[in-house]
Amino acid sequence: MKDVSLKDIFLIFLKIGAFAFGGVYSMLAFFEKELVHKKKWLGHEEFAESIVIGQLTPGAPIVNTGIFIGYTLKRFKGALATIAGQVLPSFLLVLIIASLYIKYKDIPLIRSVLKGIGSAVVGLVASVVYSMGKKFLTSYKSISFAVIAFLCLAIFKLNPIALIIISGIAGLIVYRRGKI
Amino acid sequence: MEILKFLWTIFYINLFTIGGGYVMIPLLQREIVDHYHWLTNKEFIDSIAIGQLTPGPLTIMNAFIGYKVFGFWGSIGAVVSTYLPSIIIVTIVSHYYVQFRSSWIVNSSFQGIRPAVIGLLAAVAITLGKESLIDIPTVLIAVGSFSVIAFTKTDPTFVILGAGVLGALLL
Repeated sequence: MKDVSLKDIFLIFLKIGAFAFGGVYSMLAFFEKELVHKKKWLGHEEFAESIVIGQLTPGAPIVNTGIFIGYTLKRFKGALATIAGQVLPSFLLVLIIASLYIKYKDIPLIRSVLKGIGSAVVGLVASVVYSMGKKFLTSYKSISFAVIAFLCLAIFKLNPIALIIISGIAGLIVYRRGKI
Repeated sequence: MEILKFLWTIFYINLFTIGGGYVMIPLLQREIVDHYHWLTNKEFIDSIAIGQLTPGPLTIMNAFIGYKVFGFWGSIGAVVSTYLPSIIIVTIVSHYYVQFRSSWIVNSSFQGIRPAVIGLLAAVAITLGKESLIDIPTVLIAVGSFSVIAFTKTDPTFVILGAGVLGALLL
């Protein structure tokens, strides 16, 4: 364990939580600059490792990467400090927005703004499908997984949690060959 | 108690949010909107937008949902339930991360889950589209946002803000 104080961990993750807008990749770049280049808490390899762990565990990958780094630096308290730092700024902002939303959402002007935003959200989710698809749908097998999952949810309305579990098990069967 | 049911729901949704934060969206829609009717589809879309507008992870949208349905303590509880599965699993994994990362079980199940969640997200995009895209201007805003986010490196936050302004002017 390195000699890093909890306060330092909290403050650096607070900075990350407050200024890293938008997609995961902008946040990762921010992480790397702060933790690897400026603070030197981690080497490049450890940093890459923490990103992989973040992606392979359930929940928000970026938060999980933070938990992993915090835990490596300062055990359980370090992990909590990274969550508190990352989440606090957006949590406070969400409280403000939520109370305004409840008060004003039925005003015609706000309704129009929300209608515009709602349409953009559809485009946003579609763009996530597009960018993830470009990255992961690279074989007939993976395309079949995506199409089957799509049909099971869109047409047959099966439970998405069950579909995630089933696709994991199917992955074990289909991609097992050549392994242990 | 209703709030305990809500917190438990948020907990297990996050436990199965595997393969990226966006995977939460189909799961939330199923449980929060379709099953428990805590939010309408419109309010659900608004909460995605708010999760995206704020800095930090999208999962903070759960705090918004908690506040909307159960007030202040709902939002605090939602944050705890959201990150509890992460903290439990990641701290366990960090003890065995070398074995974990190179385990064939983890890797081959992920090879199934990653493409499947893309299909789930595509299905949810259609459901959300049916709700939001009701006339030509809304369709144009959606197509425009898709193109800007997918083909340029623009931060989605700005796209959502821009769409809000367009909404005020056009809709």
